[in-house]
Formats: sequence, structure tokens, C-alpha cells
Amino acid sequence: MSDRTDAAIQAAGLTKYFGPVVGIEELSFEVGRGEIYGFLGANGAGKTTTIRLLLDLLRPSRGSASVLGRDCHRDSLASRRQIGYLPGDLPIYPDLGARDYLAYLSSLDGRPVDPAYLRHLLARFDVSDIDQRRRLREQSHGMKQKIGIIQALMAKPPVVILDEPTAGLDPLMVQAFRETLADLKKEGNTTIFLSSHVLTEVESTCDRIGLVRGGRMVATSTIDEIRRNARRRVTVTFGDGPPEVVDVTGPLGPLLASFNGRTVHDIAVEPFRLEDYIAQFYTGSAR
Amino acid sequence: MIPLLRRSIAQGRYVLLGVLLLLFAFQLIIIAQAAEVERSNAFASVANLMPGFMQRGLGSRAMLLATFRGTVTFGYFHPVVCILVAVLAMYFATEPAHEVEAGLVDLELARAIPRHRLVTRSLLAAIAALAGATIMMALGTSAGARIFDTTGMAMPTLELRSLLLANLFAVGACLTGFALMMATFARRWSTSFTTVGLAAVIAYMVDFIAIGWRPMRTIAWLSPFHYYPALSVVAGDAPTARNISVLLAAGAAFVMTAYWQFQRRDV
Repeated sequence: MSDRTDAAIQAAGLTKYFGPVVGIEELSFEVGRGEIYGFLGANGAGKTTTIRLLLDLLRPSRGSASVLGRDCHRDSLASRRQIGYLPGDLPIYPDLGARDYLAYLSSLDGRPVDPAYLRHLLARFDVSDIDQRRRLREQSHGMKQKIGIIQALMAKPPVVILDEPTAGLDPLMVQAFRETLADLKKEGNTTIFLSSHVLTEVESTCDRIGLVRGGRMVATSTIDEIRRNARRRVTVTFGDGPPEVVDVTGPLGPLLASFNGRTVHDIAVEPFRLEDYIAQFYTGSAR
Repeated sequence: MIPLLRRSIAQGRYVLLGVLLLLFAFQLIIIAQAAEVERSNAFASVANLMPGFMQRGLGSRAMLLATFRGTVTFGYFHPVVCILVAVLAMYFATEPAHEVEAGLVDLELARAIPRHRLVTRSLLAAIAALAGATIMMALGTSAGARIFDTTGMAMPTLELRSLLLANLFAVGACLTGFALMMATFARRWSTSFTTVGLAAVIAYMVDFIAIGWRPMRTIAWLSPFHYYPALSVVAGDAPTARNISVLLAAGAAFVMTAYWQFQRRDV
């Protein structure tokens, strides 16, 4: 595998079989440093399998992956030392309160946690002192998810892997999460690998996406590229005539030029939706 | 390692405390009963109550149980004691399977922790629990001797009690290794715990049945309890050092297999 210094995460021909079942097959991708990468796909597409291979929780059948140049399997410890991870289903120690839970996790590998940054995260995600003392088994799903996000970010790792980070969060906390990602993006030191089903979240936070289907990468593109090349439905009403519907791919300029001086009474452009782009790959009209 | 170990013990604290208290209480009860029988000079009648197959299988050593000294040592190899010690070893040693099942391993191993550390942690927790169990039993015997005034009665010597406890500890260590090995192969805690529990019960039964049924002796050597011939230890004619070595060697082989398997498996 090439070891490009600007790639935070690399996968080359990554393959995992579970007996006769294909987890992922020949998956190759790169995530640049400081990039927010959305890793998308339907249930069972292989997203979590890929993440677990990056963390060396699963051993690859073929291929390899690396995080900041460290092989995820052969140099697993060095690779994991650079990762903060939020699992899709956050496991808890039911007898621990949030404060002890975070303290325990930070004590495991001795990565320093800046108390000021931890306080900042707790405040941003509205985790009060009382919430921190309450046992996790008594906490709501949303609160546990917030604690999960905090534990992934608290050591300020250079690579953060988030599996369904906003599942169970209320809209305010989703906003807090987006702001946190925006801050990390602004600082430019953190690469974020985000697996999510919430496409609006991906659209608003990610620089680039990779779409995996049936264990294979079927598309990878920047959000801007997708937006630019998206087919949009434009409804134009000329004078008193009936509305005309036109599908446009790319810029609207040529369409507007084609109006040729006709009086436009109204024009409505259907907004870009990432799900329309994704849907192509599941309805047989994939490019 | 310390945070992992502390968490492990904290999670199992109720089981640990419960078993330790039961083992302590068991020694008190058995000494109370033995002292009562001794005071009423009824051990001769106890000898008559011993089942024929045991008398035939154990020979003259069976009569050791019909003495105050033998009854007190019975507290170190009574089935209840063996079961409690086995449960304690299994509970802590099967933790890796619980961590895989509950997904906790994802949180732990997503950090820079070598996999073998989880196995070592469970091994140390189980060994510490076993050490606690033997200490509590020894304390229970000492407390029982004081509380129930056994002055003038033939208490087993400290050396004999230590030998029995060391042998029991070795049985526990062997089961710990086996449980650890099973836990590293399993994805569910209940699978590993039930499998090891059933195996321990069967092993105990095989060894017990072998006392009175000769054909069973051909496979009794596979049971860890075969290497804890407590009555022979009490009689002073057991190769205790050899038995303990066999148990520890078997345990070590299981532990090595556990390390190998946990290192290579998908978690």
C-alpha cells in the first residue's frame, strides 16, 4: 500500500469474510488529514465491519488498512493510539456514573485528557454535575449517546471514528454535535470518519462521502461535486401558460439562456437532496 | 492493567463478597457441628452411617471422616466448597466472553491496549479471588475453633490445612485456565459459563463415582478433582506436590491456549 503522508486513513483491497458471508470485499479508499468523511450505506452494507477492521477488532481476510501511516493490524497499538471511537451501540458499565465512566476510559491507555476541554465538551452537550454522578443504567439513551461522543473526543485524538453519532440525540444536541465537528474542522488537526444514516447530517458536516453497498465501495465523491452534478427538477412558469418541468444536471445558466427573452412568471428549483443521489445506487440507475 | 483489574473486581464485588462470606460461614458451621458431635461422643455412630460404596472405595481413609479432625478438614473438600470455588474461578475467568458479548471490548480495544492484557487481567482477577477464598476459609476455621471452643479436640494441623488449601487453590487455578480458554472461544458469556460449569460438575461426578465404581477410574484422571485426593492428604499419603504440579501445568496449558486464541480471533 502506498503511504501517502496526506492520508489519515487508507484502505487497500480490504476484505473480510465471515465464513461464506461477505462482510466487505476489495474496499479501497483514502481519507485526507483534517477531512470529514461520511461513510454511507444501507444496513448490512459493511460500514461497521470496515470500522471494526480499522480498529483491529476484526482481522482482515485480505487487504490492509492504515491510520496515519500505521498499519491497523500489524502496528495495531500505534494505530489505535491515534483514534477516538464511538461505537454504534454504546456499551456501558451500568454501575458507573458518567464521570467515573469517562475517568475509567481515559485511564485505560493513559492518553492525557485536558480537563478544560473535557469541561467544554460536558457543557456543550449539556451534561450537568448531577448527570455525571447518576449511574449510566439510569440514564436516557440520548444522555448515554452524549457521553459516548464525549469519550471519543475527550483525548483530542487526531482521528475520530463515529458510528451513528446522532442516533437518539434531540435537535439541540444534534446542533451541538455539528458545532463540535465544525470547531474540529476549523482547528484542522482532526480527521473524522463518520458513519451515519442521517443524510442531512452528512450533507451538512461532511466534505466527502463514500458509499458502500454489498460490501463494496460503489461511489466516492465530495459533497460539492455531488451538489454540482446533481439532477434537479426546475419548474418554470412563463406568463399565463402552464408550468414547464425541466430536469437539469449541472449549472442552471444554459437553461436560463434558453428562455430567450421569454417572460418568466415563476421559477422553482427543487433543492438538492443527498438521498436522491444515494437512491440512484439502490434503484438500479447507478452511474 | 490496574484500572482494568480494579474494574473487574468492582464489577464482580457482590459475587466475590457473597462467595467469600459463604465459604467463611461454611467453615464455622462445620466446626460447630463437629464440635457438637465430638462433645456428645457420637463420631462412632457417624462411622456407621457412611455409605458402603464409600467405605469400600476409600478403605480405611473413610473412617477419617468419622473423626473431629476429619470433619473439620471436610470443610475444605465438601462438594459445596468445591462448587463455590469453581463458581468464583469461572465467574472472573469468563469475563472476556462477557466483554465481547456486551461490546465493552470495543471500547477497551479501540484504545491502545494490547489484547493479551484483557486475558491477563481476567487471570489475575480469578487468581486473586481464589486466594481470597482460601484465606477466608482459613480464617473461618480459626474463627470457628475460637467461637465453638474446640480446646482439647484434635484440630487438623496448620500444615495439613495449608496443604489442603493449596491443593484446592490448584484445582481452582486449573478451572480458571479452562474457563479462560473457553471464554476466549465464546461470543456469549452464558455459553462459556454454562459449558465450564457443566464440565466442572461432570468432572466432579466422574471423580466421585470413581470412588465406588472401578470402570470410571479409567477416565477419572481427566478430572481436576482427581488430583485433589483430600482424604489421602489428611491421611498423609498423597503426592500433593505432584498433584499440584499437574493441576498448575494443565491450567497453564489452558491459559496459553487462551492467549493464543484471543490474539487471533475476531472480537
